Amino acid sequence: MPFELAEPRSLREAIASLDAKDPSVRPISGGTALMLMMKAGVLRPSRLVSLGKLGLAGIRTGPGGELRVGAMTSLRTIEKSEIVRKGWPVIARTLRTLANVRVRNVATVGGHLAHADPHMDLPPVLSALGARVTIAGAAGERSIPVEELGTGYLETSIRLDELITLLEVPPLGGRSAAYLKCTTRSADDWPAVGVAVSLDFQGDSIREASVVIGAATDKPTRLAAVERILVGRKLDENLLDEAATQELSVEGDLHGSAAYKKQLIRVYLRRAIHEARAQSR
Amino acid sequence: MARSLQLSLTVNGEAVELSCAGYKTLLEVLREDLGLTGTKHGCELGECGACAVLIDGTPQLSCLVLAAECEGRAVETVEGLSRGAELHPLQAAFADLGAAQCGYCTPGILMTAKALLDNERMPDRERIKEAVSGNLCRCTGYQQIFEAIEEAARRLEHESHR
Ligand SMILES: Cc1cc2nc3c(=O)[nH]c(=O)nc-3n(C[C@H](O)[C@H](O)[C@H](O)COP(=O)(O)OP(=O)(O)OC[C@H]3O[C@@H](n4cnc5c(N)ncnc54)[C@H](O)[C@@H]3O)c2cc1C
Ligand code: FES
Ligand code: FES
Repeated sequence: MPFELAEPRSLREAIASLDAKDPSVRPISGGTALMLMMKAGVLRPSRLVSLGKLGLAGIRTGPGGELRVGAMTSLRTIEKSEIVRKGWPVIARTLRTLANVRVRNVATVGGHLAHADPHMDLPPVLSALGARVTIAGAAGERSIPVEELGTGYLETSIRLDELITLLEVPPLGGRSAAYLKCTTRSADDWPAVGVAVSLDFQGDSIREASVVIGAATDKPTRLAAVERILVGRKLDENLLDEAATQELSVEGDLHGSAAYKKQLIRVYLRRAIHEARAQSR
Repeated sequence: MARSLQLSLTVNGEAVELSCAGYKTLLEVLREDLGLTGTKHGCELGECGACAVLIDGTPQLSCLVLAAECEGRAVETVEGLSRGAELHPLQAAFADLGAAQCGYCTPGILMTAKALLDNERMPDRERIKEAVSGNLCRCTGYQQIFEAIEEAARRLEHESHR
């Protein structure tokens, strides 16, 4: 399996090293997902374009108070960042139980978001928070919601000659957010279901709700019916149960059957809402 | 035949130059090309920690790193841990407190613990657990491992006061 490793020094050069038509030319960031795909034989690259020397790592806040994370920032750096812990604690908490420390030391947020395995933890959290990514290509940059990245299992709306360069997360403001996952016993510790909620409480009622689940559908999915039930009234858990799996095509996998996952979604949704509420007090 | 790769890096403080197949992982290069078999082949999937080494001081899984990406970097393996004939305090504490049975997980845990103790003098139990979490051990049990790391931290602290 011969391939070439390109190590461009600028973003322009990196994009030029990609190939709009050839899926065997791939960017490599931390390489943790890529190496597994190569070992499994599902990816046989002809060229890997390393993004390590493009200066794309770093965490800061922008003029509107938004969090700006460079695509090559490691998951561990984000987890340990004081800025993230203070302003977006749900992200730091989510990272603590993502894979293991040695994977997080290397895995990058750009690679994480581009990989689009529906079991991944950050996409539902970032979608619930209304985060966006900047994608750069030969024609320039575009910014899209994280929610629009995934188009299916391991599939994204990123073109072959484009790269994620930046993640932007708006300030939490008055919202409180929680992410809970259920990890069934398996060697790899991937979740059977993940539920992310971002809720703006006003006394006992909710002014604004954003609810996105992962690991149960072929890409992170927004539970719009649940959001409608949550907004503007007192919590009715029976209504919630019904809405939780309405219009959802849940897929079973080695972490649980579809029926089991549906039950988990109902249970974890309630728990996540309670956790967010507890934080808002 | 795969395109061969010219690589220069530092392994346990020594400059190394080699040529190997371009698709090899760092784990394969360490074991097969450099004969450093202390680093273990476990799951090969990033899940067990047996292959952990330090790259530029940070614990990483050598089964998930392309050797080609290690050009110019400093790799530390368990072979570099002892100081000549004298065991590193971590190794000595593991032996004294029975923190290794079959020993398969031990190199990965030692290197992970070394990175921790290089950065923090007296980490508490929580920090130790966090650092070695996911370094799977199937026989000793984690209690002795945590205790041995704490003991090594005390010995290192003691040394530094001598
Ligand atoms: C043992 C193990 C356990 C794991 N457990 C979890 C878990 O519990 N929860 C979880 O969420 N995740 C888990 N993961 C997945 C992990 O989060 C991903 O492997 C990691 O985030 C990928 O990041 P990377 O930088 O290594 O990506 P890479 O492997 O470098 O790249 C991944 C993909 O994205 C492409 N790519 C990389 N960077 C960019 C970019 N900037 N722009 C466009 N495309 C790009 C690559 O071509 C490749 O297709 C686990 C992984 C392992 C190995
Ligand atoms: S062999 Fe690398 S983590 Fe198991
Ligand atoms: S000592 Fe045997 S696996 Fe840990």
